[in-house]
Formats: sequence, C-alpha cells, structure tokens
Amino acid sequence: MMRLPWFKHASPTSVAEAARILAGEGPRGMLIAGGTDLLPNMKRRQQTPATLISLSRVEGLKHIANGSGLRLGAGLTLTEVVESKAVREQYRGLWQAAAQVASPHLRNMGTLGGNLCLDTRCNYYNQNEDWREAIGYCMKKEGKTCWVATASKRCLAVSSTDSAPALIALGAKVRLVSAAGERELALPELYNNDGMDYLTRKPDEILTEVMLPKAEGWRSTYWKLRRRGSFDFPLLGVAVAARAAPDGCIEELRLVLGAVSSQPFLAGKASDFLVGKKLSDEVIAEAGALAASRAKPMDNTDLDVYWRKEVVPSFVGYALREIRGDDMRAMRMRIARQEL
Amino acid sequence: MLTPLTYELPRFKFDACRVFTNKPACGPKRGHGTPQPRFGQEVQLDKIAEKLKLDPADLRLNMVTKANTLTASWLKIGSNGLAECIRQVVAGSGWKQKHGKLPQGRGVGIACSSYMTGAGVSIYWNKMPHTGVQLSLDRSGQVTVFCGATEVGQGSDDVLAAVVAETLGISTKEVRCVTGDTGITPIDLGSYSSRVTLMMGNAALQAAGRARDMLVTAAAEQLEVAPADIVLSRGRVFAAGDASKTMSFAEAVVYAETKYGTLGTVGSYTPPKPPGKFKAAGVGPSPAYSYSACVVEVEVDEHTGWINVPKIWVAHDIGRALNPTLARGQVIGGIYMGLGEALMEEQVFRRLPPKLSNALVHKIPSLLEYKSITSLEMPEVEVFLVEDPDPNCPFGAKEVGQGPLLPVMPAVANAVFDAVGVRIDEVPITPEKILRALHLKREGKSPRVGPERFPEVPYVEPTFVIPPGEGGDGTESKPPQRKAAKAAERAAS
Repeated sequence: MMRLPWFKHASPTSVAEAARILAGEGPRGMLIAGGTDLLPNMKRRQQTPATLISLSRVEGLKHIANGSGLRLGAGLTLTEVVESKAVREQYRGLWQAAAQVASPHLRNMGTLGGNLCLDTRCNYYNQNEDWREAIGYCMKKEGKTCWVATASKRCLAVSSTDSAPALIALGAKVRLVSAAGERELALPELYNNDGMDYLTRKPDEILTEVMLPKAEGWRSTYWKLRRRGSFDFPLLGVAVAARAAPDGCIEELRLVLGAVSSQPFLAGKASDFLVGKKLSDEVIAEAGALAASRAKPMDNTDLDVYWRKEVVPSFVGYALREIRGDDMRAMRMRIARQEL
Repeated sequence: MLTPLTYELPRFKFDACRVFTNKPACGPKRGHGTPQPRFGQEVQLDKIAEKLKLDPADLRLNMVTKANTLTASWLKIGSNGLAECIRQVVAGSGWKQKHGKLPQGRGVGIACSSYMTGAGVSIYWNKMPHTGVQLSLDRSGQVTVFCGATEVGQGSDDVLAAVVAETLGISTKEVRCVTGDTGITPIDLGSYSSRVTLMMGNAALQAAGRARDMLVTAAAEQLEVAPADIVLSRGRVFAAGDASKTMSFAEAVVYAETKYGTLGTVGSYTPPKPPGKFKAAGVGPSPAYSYSACVVEVEVDEHTGWINVPKIWVAHDIGRALNPTLARGQVIGGIYMGLGEALMEEQVFRRLPPKLSNALVHKIPSLLEYKSITSLEMPEVEVFLVEDPDPNCPFGAKEVGQGPLLPVMPAVANAVFDAVGVRIDEVPITPEKILRALHLKREGKSPRVGPERFPEVPYVEPTFVIPPGEGGDGTESKPPQRKAAKAAERAAS
C-alpha cells in the first residue's frame, strides 16, 4: 500500500500570497495544481515536499482572454482548454494536444500549467520506492547512475508533456511570477535538456499564464504516438504551426518534437528547410528525415526504442499533410482512435 | 490437451513439461493453458491452408469433429456446434468477399477453438460431488436457494435463479439466492474451468426437480387429477387441459407443506467418469465442450506496422443461452481480453546493467505501464450465439466464460498475414514486430517474426494409448515399436 507522506497544506487565494508562501518555504515547498502527477509521485516518494501550496483557490489563473492573441490562465484545466472555442478554432494544435493528454478524468483535474511543468519520466524513476531501492535508485532521485545509459553524465528522463510542443510551435510565451517580481519567457526557454533540471523556472516562481500570438494566417496540428488512444503518455509528439502564402508556399513554420528528449524542442533544420517550399510529398519526406535525425528516444518508456525512432518521419508526414490540407481523419482515427 | 476437440485427428501426441523459472509466480487466466497451444494450432492451420491454396475457413469446416464421438485422446464430445459457428462467422463477416480480396494493408483472419464446460476430474481428489444446492420453500411461496457458487460478475446467481424458476414455473424474482458464503451454503468447488452453469445448474435442477415432485403430488391430490397432468407455469399450478383446476404456486406450497412437513430439497452434481483410463486421461475430460469461431478484420500500416482492429465477428456454441444478454456480455468480455493478449498485454523483463547485478527484472511492475486495451481500442463485436442443447447440461447450457477468448489471438495473427503477408508467430502482435517482418519481406527473407527455436526438452517417455478408432479400450498399452525393440533385444541376448 502506497500512502501519501505527511505534508502541510496551504491554500492561498492570490498569486502574490502564493508566491510569498513559496518563497518562505524554499525548496521544501511545492506548488500543486491538479495534482494528477504530483500526488502519485508523492505516494511513490519521487517528491516529498514538506508543504504543498495549492493553486486551486488562487484567483486569476483561469482566464481565457483576447489581446494581441490569446491569453490562457495556467490554472485552466485541460478540459477547460479543450472546451474553449477560441483554442479549438484558432489554435488547433494546442486543442489536439490538450485533448490527448491522459484520460478524461485526468484532464478534468490536470491543468495547462501543470502539464507544462510535468516532471520528466523514466521506467527507472516512475516506480515505487521498493523497486527503486532495489536497484540502488537512479541519478534523478537519490542515486548516482542513469540506468538507461550507465555512461551518461546526465539524466535521460523523457519530457512527456503534450501541450508544450504544441505551444512552442504556436510561438507561445509564459509568465512566471515570484515574490521578487515577474518575467516573460519564450516557452522553449522554459526547458533544459536535462531530465533532472528540466525547467528553468526558479524554485520561487509560479507559472501563471500562457500567451499566444495572433493566429491569423496560421494553421497548426499535433500528432501523438502512444500505444493506446487514451491514458498513455506520449512516446512521440509532433507539433507543427505554419503560415503559408495563398499559393501554398510556406512563409513561416515551426516543427517541434516532444517525448524524444528531456525537453520539447524545435526541429530547426527541418523547419528552416520547409520555409519557401510547397509541401509536396518529396518535401515532406525530406523534412521527415531531417526531423527524425534530431529524435533521440531512449529505452526508458513504452514500445520498442528503435521502432519509435523509425516512425518519426511518418508522424512528421501526418502532421505536414494535415497542414497541407489533406483529409487525415481516417489516419487520425487509426492513430488516436478518436476524432481530433 | 483440448487440441483434438475441434478437428478430426486420427492420432494425437502430446509432450509436456513443467519448467521452473525465476519469473513471478504464474496463475490461471481466462482459458487456462488453452490459448498457447490453440494459437500455434490455428496459425499452423492458416499456414497449411496457404500452402495448399485452400480457403482457411473451408479447410476447417471440412474437418470439424462430430457430435457424440471420442477424440484420439479419449475425450468424449457431446453436442458440437463448431460447423455452425464457422458458417455463421463466415456469412456474417462476408469472409468470402474479404479473405485474400481486401486491398493491401487490410485483411481478415479466422480461427476456432473449444473449451471445457467444467473439469471432469475434481481439483480435490475425492469422490464427493463437485457442487451442492439446497432449496427451501416457505408457505408464502418464497423459494430460497443456497449454493457455494460465487457470483463474481459473471451472472451465476442469475443462472441459479433461472434454473430453479424454470423448473418450478415461477419468475426469477420469487427466487432468493444465498451464495458464496461457505458458512451457510453447501459446497461448490469454485469459479474455474467454466464449470458453474453446468455443475451448479445440474445440482439446482435436481433440487428443484425434487421440490417440484412434492408440489405436483400435493397439487394433484387437491385438484383430483393425475400428477402427470400437472403443469407449473407463470406462478400457477394447474391441470393440463382443464383451466378450472388451478391454484397459485404459493397455494401448492401450502398443500405440499401440509402433506410433507417443512419443505426442503437438495441436489448435487458429479460429472460422468471420463472414458479414458490411462494416466493422463484426467486432463481435459468434461461433461460438455463449447465451440467458438472468430473472424477478425485488421488494418495494418505498411510504413509503421501500426495495427488497427475495426471489427470482430464471433460465433459461440453455448448449447443454450439461459440469459442471452449476460451470455453476450461474457462473449464480448472474452473478446476484449483476447484482443488485449493479441495486441499488447505482456510481461516484459529486462536485464539490469552488469554494474547492478545483471539480473532479470520486471520492466513494468505496475498496472500503469502494463498495457491492456481500453474502450477506444475495443472494436465493434458481432456476436452469434449458436444453440444446440447438450444433454449433459442444465437446459442444454454449455460454458461461455472462457471459450470465446481463445480464437481471438490466432485470428488476429492470421488477419495480419492476409493484410500484409507477414507472419507474427507470437503475441503480443506489436507494430514493431510487424514492421520488422515487413522489412524482412522487402529484403526477400522469410517474412516472419517469432520464436526462432523451441528449447530442447528431455520429455518423459510418453504414455501410449490406442485411439478409440483403432480398437483401443482406453487403457495404456505398450507401443508397438517398443515391443519390437524389446523383442529384438531379447533375440540379441
């Protein structure tokens, strides 16, 4: 039986109050939003904060507001994101990503901010305490070695957020607030390619808001590889946002890969290659190969690692064909097993 | 050992061994030892059909076993609806228009199976009944039935009430079931071997039949008709052919209690002795066998190996469905579990790095990472219940709890071959294995992924039994070649 460790619970009602408590607690404090990832982790002792600072009563974290683009409160549940008409119609990639996070129950609890800050995952890490103790723990928690690649100097746990690749492709920024002040960060800068130190968020900072630029002229999409159409974490995420000229020539494009590294990242070469071109089958195939060369899946999650690398071009192809305007509904049904 | 039940086999050899491993302890799961040989048998038949250029459904249909026969291994087959099962799934799925004719990447596969309706030999080595039922009738007309059988969601309480109600001509809502409590109820050996409907049902039939006899006798006296003319139906007890001579069920109970004192009956059930008398004859005998046939349609993506199952057709020879809704639920549940086995369920072990211990450990010791299919993976299932009542069963009802799972895995493997021409000779059939086999095919190599060899096993000397068709008597005998060798030995010395 795995039970939660003892902890203190604070439920502030404003961001300022939450930031003040967080600053006061230092490394012993942790923020909790939906808790769908943190609470199971606490039961297995991956995280054992002395104090949980709940964001659920904090006002001003649940807004969906228009501005120069769209502003989304970090406290919106993923279900609320999915139900947002603005997201569904203008930021399709984010909508598709949010709709594919875990299962309906978890989306009802889990938040957008929580998914962006999701702890990295690994077969050697996401286990119960006994199991981890039996192998002498791992680098990410209490141990010294990365069992995925014992020669590795850094932790290879996988970034498993679906919303981040989609938001990076869409050019999103995030707002981080602390007792000392606040800053805006382009979303890619929130992440480090390190399974342990995977966020650049400082321990006293609260992610409060996601800011999306105007969507006019842009199309976006997100394709997720997982074994089952519900529940599973991504084994590969392909997000693309593109702006094309009336003749179909790509003017701007961002192709982002998720779940094949410790961070979601822009596949720069593939993205640059596509600019100025029309999305012909040949161009798509070449972009797929370019993107695949950047994917470094490790044998620390579900399904065969070589196969996961091998299918990257296919998934990049699905995404680019959807951007091109192909009818991908049948393929979507086969991969996601739901309409998206 | 259930292998010879489906297709005519003049002779049958079975080697087996138990292997000690350091893996987690195993336990029975739906089908209990049958899925593994059945997978091999049904995939092998598909390969034979391919080689002989025969339709795999016709190949099977032309060699199904017959009702009321003995297999080469001395298992007694009673009713047998396999041929009808094959015909129904072939017709229902449009097999003839689909097999070998769907566009590349889509295919259909067929497989059949059979399963026991209760183990003919008790798991406890004694001669006592396998199940017992007690019935008590009180003067309000309330019937209470006691049995150790445990309702685990499969609907055994419903079967128990239905058998009693049908025999007494009352509604199931007049029957109260007291089950599962070993302190109150007579014994039932448990929910395994798909035995509860048959064994508990037969015991309930006996108990209810005895109660019925008392009610009939008392009512006949009262209504002044011959007991043979008494009919119990819809809560009434009346004379056949004379509607004026009638009373309610509760009145009949009152008359019977007046005549006999407090009413209570018992019933029990012991399966018939298996026809085989040799040492291994206790494995596989059953009072009745269910039959299933299944057609699975798959879509396989040739670039990724991604597999999708849009639809499954399954026909199950249940003898008689006592509750068709629950029976269909059991069939669909079996398909669900079978499809999980076919596509993803797996215990994966990995070797720890040498630095740690080099030991094999469970890769996924949690249900979060142990993948079984969800409702989104579950295809539409079309169920055909084939009803051919078996005389050994209560109202002819055979098992449905385990049989329908068995053909799913080989049918998926056979469908993958029909879709893209590769053989995946093991489960789970994952996209990675399909893609690996597709690469082999493109390279001109044998397009097959599966175990490369079977381990060397020092099997024990087999028991030799002459099959029924060759004049055997069901006992062990000396194999002819061994006799010849012994004679040669004697001659040499």
